[in-house]
Amino acid sequence: MNIKRMVAALVATGGIIGFAGCGAAEDSPVVDTQADKGLEVMGDAITYDPNHLVNDGQPITVEYWTWGQAATDPIYQMIQQYEKIHPNVRIDVNVVAWDDYWTKLPLSLKGNKNAPVLFNVHNSYDALIRPHMEPYDIPLEDLETDYTFVDTHVDENGEVKYIDSVINTGAIFYNKDLWAEAGLTEADIPTTWDELIEVAQKLTKFDGDTMVQAGFNINGSYKAAWQGLNYQKGVLMFQEDGHTANYDCETTKENLEFLQSLYDEYQVGAVNFGDDRELSFGNNQTAMIYDWGSYVGTLATNYPDVNYGVFPTPAFSEETPFAYDRYNGESTPGINVHQSDEQKAVAQDFIRFILANDDYMRIASDVLNSFPGKKSLQDDPEILDNPMMAAIAPRLDRLIWPGPTPSTLETSPQIAFENVLQKGQDVDSAVAYSQELIMSDMEDSDFTSMESRYAHYDERKD
Amino acid sequence: MTNVNHSAVRAAQPASGEVSSARRMLGRIFTMRNIAVVSLVVYFAVFMAYPIFSAFAGSLHDWNPLIDKYDWVGFDNFVNVLTDGLFWKSLWNTAIYSFFSILFRVVLGLALALLLSSKLVKCKDTLRGLFYMPTITPLVAVSFVWMWMFDPQFGMIDKITGLDISWLNDSRYAMPAVIIMTIWKDFGYATVLYLAGIMALPRDVYEAAQIDGANWWQTFRSITLPLLKPTTLLIVITSLISYLQAYVQILVMTKGGPGTDTYTISYLIYDQAFQKYNFGTASAMSVILFVLTGILTILMFKASGDNTEA
Repeated sequence: MNIKRMVAALVATGGIIGFAGCGAAEDSPVVDTQADKGLEVMGDAITYDPNHLVNDGQPITVEYWTWGQAATDPIYQMIQQYEKIHPNVRIDVNVVAWDDYWTKLPLSLKGNKNAPVLFNVHNSYDALIRPHMEPYDIPLEDLETDYTFVDTHVDENGEVKYIDSVINTGAIFYNKDLWAEAGLTEADIPTTWDELIEVAQKLTKFDGDTMVQAGFNINGSYKAAWQGLNYQKGVLMFQEDGHTANYDCETTKENLEFLQSLYDEYQVGAVNFGDDRELSFGNNQTAMIYDWGSYVGTLATNYPDVNYGVFPTPAFSEETPFAYDRYNGESTPGINVHQSDEQKAVAQDFIRFILANDDYMRIASDVLNSFPGKKSLQDDPEILDNPMMAAIAPRLDRLIWPGPTPSTLETSPQIAFENVLQKGQDVDSAVAYSQELIMSDMEDSDFTSMESRYAHYDERKD
Repeated sequence: MTNVNHSAVRAAQPASGEVSSARRMLGRIFTMRNIAVVSLVVYFAVFMAYPIFSAFAGSLHDWNPLIDKYDWVGFDNFVNVLTDGLFWKSLWNTAIYSFFSILFRVVLGLALALLLSSKLVKCKDTLRGLFYMPTITPLVAVSFVWMWMFDPQFGMIDKITGLDISWLNDSRYAMPAVIIMTIWKDFGYATVLYLAGIMALPRDVYEAAQIDGANWWQTFRSITLPLLKPTTLLIVITSLISYLQAYVQILVMTKGGPGTDTYTISYLIYDQAFQKYNFGTASAMSVILFVLTGILTILMFKASGDNTEA
């Protein structure tokens, strides 16, 4: 009797799940018979003619995986536009949390027919997903004509599996109210590190011996900042072989001592003041921080009342440096090479649609607070109205991408920073220890640096 | 009148008997007891034995399942781990973290249980519930709240105490801060277990002690504490197993920093497996941790001797 009840319960559960599944099919794709939509061809070198049938107009559902929500992933809006043009196509979005995404996606892509055909890409996980990616069915010349930095994504077969949709880099965020309170104006915006120290000192406040406002807070930013500082002095992240990390070098030590001097000598901040610089800036306790463009989104969401501005990261002198900083790109979606031909054909069509469509760039630039990779939009007044974009635009030519570097290039130097500034370890041994960690972590890595593809590579310091 | 074909009925009788006997046999096989046992065995095999075996096998390979890398390396992973300074540092940090967390969990738990069982305290049920609440609160949430409480600018701890300490960024205070959070979260579990233990203590022994003129301290030291030894052992062993696997609080509060000062062995395993995808190295560390936990548990049982049966 009990077994019968158990079976009945299982059947009932199965039924409920089945009905729920049926319910989801309400907005199923419909047959499309109208090839001529009366729409204009879009794009510059990469063009997209919407007046055609996808999958011969037969209903088809494809899946797109992402870690982002609609507010941060521009693909959501592009899917809506695409489905409107091609009603026989439905693109289901499956959101997987970032931490799970990079285990679930590679495992799913390994020959699994139920894996998504389209998926969000982050270049730092390139090695995990590249073997499962289909090259874009778009001529390389067209990609290079329309987009910046495409050359860094061309593989040994001359193929491209994703490119940068938008790019980002570091800049200095400053609190305009605290700035005005200290009697500073726009004319005081520093262009060199020495000038920044002067300004930061004016913005630092003490109550007796206790710091109550930091002029410039570097806590937590070293993992990104060290790369830019070294590049400013013409020193690469990797040695000539493109594989061996170049962290343990005189320039790294010099720069780490420089950062240490900001706190110890110039006292514009402190290691125990605002250990989370973003939080401290958001709470009006820190006047300036170094951060990347994504912080604009954090400020808008968490600290909408902060009156802030952005200016380009200073350099060590007025002369144009080897590079001002490194950049990183948000990537266009990847296509699963293991999926069926029908699914891949839809995915290729969708990729062409977004790359030819300016809306993709505008939405991406807006939601990701990043600079458009599409050349035709790089001097667009509407985009440059964003202070972060205005800070990036004039330096585009002097930003370098080291490639999809393993995370140890960020986490291990951060340990060196903590060892020196928080634990009082000497710079030499802290840097040497972090170099060891990097080497150990990269022992089995196939990573090769992209630094040699930088336009001004020849100007590097030997 | 109905004509009955008696020969047909007789011929059918053995078949009907076979069906019944088959039903009886199935009924004997598919009893709830058998289903429960098989379910447990399957569960254990799939979710315990197989992962443990995989970890053992993985520890002998250069393993990254995400790119199908599984190359035999023998004991290289173990050699690398055992010669890695960070592994030993993490092990030491884990020992410190576990020792102090367990010590205070036991002492605080016992003290509060004694207080709650005495006649001095009223609203015992409310207090018991209150003390147990942190235990059932998700560790991630608790870690975040304590991380903010330890913040030197807006955190409650510095404001209340008047101190100016950057708890989680100073190598002198980072580990104690994590330990304080752990004690706060976990003491309620010990309190409830001790309270149950105290309630079950035989009253006649206390009456005899009272007649013999034993004072409170003598009663506590010679009767309560020895009789609570099984409870203490249970708390210590479960705590030890739990704290040897601690990484969530480290991940949220310090990310192993400052430097590597709060790296615990489980955080190091997490870092190797899910940040650096060195599953082989992480598996070797897990095997070592597994053996270590087993040895410590056996030692504790041995050390407690026959008294556990008291």
